[in-house]
Order: sequence, then structure tokens, then C-alpha cells
Amino acid sequence: MSKTDIRQVLIRFLISSPVMNLVPHLSCFVAVAEELHFGRAAERLGMAQPPLSQRIQRLERELGVRLFERSSRRVELTGPGRLLLDEARDILARVDRVYALADRAEGAPLRAGLPAGLGGDVVAALIAAFRERRPEHRLEIRDLSTAAQGAALAAGDLDVGIVRHPCPVRGLAFGPVLGERFGVLLPAGEAAGPVALAALAGRDLVVFPREEAPGAFDELLAACRRHGYDPPSVREAGQPQFALGLVLAGTAVALTPPVPDAPGASWHPITGDPIMWRTSCAWRAGPVPGAVADFAAAAAAVLRREARMVPLDAAPRRVAPRPSSGFLA
Amino acid sequence: MFRAAGVTGHLHAVDVDTGRAVGVGPDEPVVLASVYKVPLLVAFHRRAAAGALDPAERTVLAPADRTPGPTGTSIMLDEVAMSLRDLAALMITVSDNAAADAVYDRVGRDAVNAALDELGLARTRVAGNGRDLHASLLADAAVGDLAELWDRLDEPGLLGRLSALDPARTSRSTPREAAALLAMIWRDEAAPPAACAAMRRLLGLQVWPHRLASGFPFDDVVVSGKTGTLATVRNEAGVVEYPDGGRYAVAVFTRAHVPAAVLPAADAAIGTAARLAVEALRRPS
Repeated sequence: MSKTDIRQVLIRFLISSPVMNLVPHLSCFVAVAEELHFGRAAERLGMAQPPLSQRIQRLERELGVRLFERSSRRVELTGPGRLLLDEARDILARVDRVYALADRAEGAPLRAGLPAGLGGDVVAALIAAFRERRPEHRLEIRDLSTAAQGAALAAGDLDVGIVRHPCPVRGLAFGPVLGERFGVLLPAGEAAGPVALAALAGRDLVVFPREEAPGAFDELLAACRRHGYDPPSVREAGQPQFALGLVLAGTAVALTPPVPDAPGASWHPITGDPIMWRTSCAWRAGPVPGAVADFAAAAAAVLRREARMVPLDAAPRRVAPRPSSGFLA
Repeated sequence: MFRAAGVTGHLHAVDVDTGRAVGVGPDEPVVLASVYKVPLLVAFHRRAAAGALDPAERTVLAPADRTPGPTGTSIMLDEVAMSLRDLAALMITVSDNAAADAVYDRVGRDAVNAALDELGLARTRVAGNGRDLHASLLADAAVGDLAELWDRLDEPGLLGRLSALDPARTSRSTPREAAALLAMIWRDEAAPPAACAAMRRLLGLQVWPHRLASGFPFDDVVVSGKTGTLATVRNEAGVVEYPDGGRYAVAVFTRAHVPAAVLPAADAAIGTAARLAVEALRRPS
């Protein structure tokens, strides 16, 4: 297939394939072609790996050519793949210019929702990372709970957000899920090293407000009970200082992501890391505007670098099925 | 906890592997009700292992021969043909009374009590089957059917006249012995290992979520058991298994203060009590 053939195929495809959105597929193709690694490409795009692989397969199917040779160890461009790369970059550059023009003409800011508890340094780094990618694009940051972000995204009042999982997924698309382990904040000197949840039995619990992220809150309490800690009472604290105060007063223990030790209190990991806070970007399903993709990529990078979140493998969930909740029971 | 749910309760929980145990009145005599189907299941498998019966033997049950009950073959209208072991499956998983009596007829009461003797469970006795219990309830209350019994259950003195609710006059055990029997099934001691595995499978397939299982709403925890329900009596004996290898046999026997047919709080109290006991056993001592 010559370069002219490729161009003809692409043009035919642009005109005749309304079912497929070419631009996101070409973005995926370019990222994989440049990284020659599906995992790294997915990370760069701020998306999960399975949908990326599906897009590449779909593109290959639509074009009727194989773009990559994949083996278990490496990914390589095929001849047609190499030919397509230049054309794809050209098309994407033009599309970007169209969006940039539209953005400038419209002046619409990117409306992004952030959950409470990210930390000032993380928020600042996120804004800086987005500015680096889109210096001219205005960014409007809002402090919103996961539930509020879901509603605002669906209503079109928000363009992109950072949400805690599990959360309702209808109509939304998500970037890669990152994990952050919870630990326990105890009065200083009470323990050294990791603490078992069962060792907290009988103590009152301080934790983030349920309305911030009901799914994550319920999962956290279920994990506590599963591991032998059924707190007599649960205090929901929006302010870290309030939680710290209750811990210092000796009336409760707090479950939080890692925090620096404060005078009189220290943070300990939990034996076996039974509580992981899962976080990802979210946006409306469908064509992804460039600014949203850039925000998602910037956020994934910043959450890993600044908030020290880690990519999660396919969750090592273990379900022992019961007849009453079995298939079609 | 039992008081808040409107019941009196006795329980025993034992770590299947270490023998560490906690209990509340663990040696009180208690009414087994349908928990009697567990010793029957054990005896059935011991008789089969001894070659005294064929578990795959085809059994035909006509409608008129079937003991009344709310589930399984008891509710069916036509003739049922099934192997003995499949009848045993219905008797455990949905507490099918007609299936249990068919198994009982083939095993015999003496074989059940002999098995209990051999296993060292002297305070656990099976006095009769579902048909016997049904007949005793109607006779003691002088009523025509179970619906009438329910209607009259709040008459003063009636509950006291029911021999089916008196451990001295019906199938009985203690929380300690009921938990011990379950632990023996889990340790492959109640019968040959393959038979114990078959029993564990059936107890794990029991459908009811409202008692023991309700105390362990954790996706990675396996809860197996057998309930027992008779008027004010609500029981369950079973085993709770954690992915870290911890396994605990728990037997909870309750009696409600009021003769209500539907008491979700009493059912849930069985799960809550079991969870508290298992948590105590899992805490490092």
C-alpha cells in the first residue's frame, strides 16, 4: 500500500464512517506508535489499557490493515502503520488547530471538579501541569463531591472531574484508576509500624463525610467490619484539623490517606492494606475534547507524582458466591 | 444483643482447627428443629460409606406420601422421582421436609443416634422426623392444621403444651455439640473425607441469607449452615470460612418472646451474635 493509497483510504473513511469517531482513534494510534507500548500509551492518554487496545483493533478493522505487530514482549509498527503515522499526525495537528481556534473564539473555560482532600500542593501542581499543556486555555476549578460531579457532568455543567470509586458509571468515561492506601492516625507513641484494623476494636472512628463519596465510604466501613473493627460510632469530619483534634483528644482514631505526622499524632499503615481509595478522572462518554484529554493526562501524572497514588492492576477481588445472590437468583 | 432482638439465645463458636471457643450458655439443652437434618445427613453418608445404602438409589415419592412443608418436594403436586442423595440435597439446601423424611425412612432413627454416639455427641438425640413433629404439633395443640396452630399460638399456655418445643421431648442438642458436629464435618472426621466434602458442598448451597450469613456481609467470606425454625424457635448451625484459612463452627439457638411468624430482627440477631463470636475468636489473644 503506497502513501497515496493510505491517504485515499483515510479520506474515504473520514467521509463514509459516521459510526466511528476517527480523531480519538487516530490519537490512540499515534500514542501507541510513539510509545510502542500499550501500557505507557494508555497512561499518556489518561485512559485505561483495555479500551485503548479495543480502539486500535477497531481502527485496524475499519482500515482493513494491521497497524502493529504485537508479541508478548514488544509492539512494532507494520509497513502500513509507518505510512499512516505521518498522515495521522498531520490530521491531528489540524484538528487541534480547529479546536484551538474555536476555544479562542468562544473563550469557554474548562470546568473541572476536584474532590475534597486532595491537598493544596496537589491542586497547585494540577493547575500548573494543565497550564503547561494548554497555556491559553482558562481552567475553572470547582471543589465538588463525587456524587455532585457525576450529576454536574451529566447535566453538562462540568467538563471533567476527579472522582472516587465506586461511583455511578452511567454515561461517563473514566481514565486509569489510581489507588491510595488508607492508614490510621493515632495519638503519638501508641503504636509503632503497621496497625491491624482488629486492634482498633472499641474505638470510635473519624472518617471523611459520606456525602463526599458514598460508595467509597460504604466500602471503607465494610472493610473495617470485615477485618474485625466495628466502630461503636462514626464521626464524619470534613476538615482534617477536626479529625486530628478528635485523635489528639484521645476520643477516636481517624482513617485517612497518608498525612505527615503532627505533634502528638502519627499516621500508620494498616496491616495488609485492606482499604484502598480508588481515584480517576471522569468525563462524559463520547467524543473527548482536547482540553479534557489534556486535563485527564495531566491529572493522572500529578496524582501519581504529587499524591503518590499508584496504578491498580485488575483488582484482586475475591468473591465467594452465595446461592441467594447467585446468577438470576 | 439477643434481648434487643426480643429473643433468648444460646450459642457456641469454635475455631475448627485450634479448638479455641467462646459461648453463651453453650451447654443448655436446645430444640434442634430442622437442624436435626444435619445429624441425619451425617448418618446417611456414614451408612452409604459402610455400604448399607446406595446414595444414587432412585426413590419415588407420591404426593400423598410426602410430609407437609413450605419448600422443595413438599410443595409439588405430582409424583417425584429422585436419587436419595438429591433428596438429601433438597433437605439441606431448602430444608425440604418431604425429602428429609424419605432419607430418614431409609437411614432410620437408630442409625442416626448410633452415629451421634460414635462421634461422642451424647447430648444430641434425634427423636423423630418431620412427620412426627407435624403430628405432635397438631395433637398437642388439638388443631386441624398448621394454619390453625399459628392462629392460636398466642393463646396463654398453648406454647407450653407443645412437646416439639421441649428439648426433653423432641430432637435436641446443645450449642457446644451442634458446633462440634459441624467442626467434625469440616475436619473430615464425621465421615470419610469424600462424604464430608459432599456435606460441606450442600451446607454451602443452603439458600437462606437472613440468619448466620447476614452477620457476614463480606464477599470473600464463605458461610455454610442449616437453619431450624419452629414457632418461636429460630436456629442455625454452620461454619464461617475466611480467605486467610480461619474457619469457625458456630451454632446459635434462639427463642422469641412473642409467637410472631415473621421476626426479621430475631433472624438477624443470629448473624450478629455469630459475627461477634467469630471476631472474638479471630482477635489475637
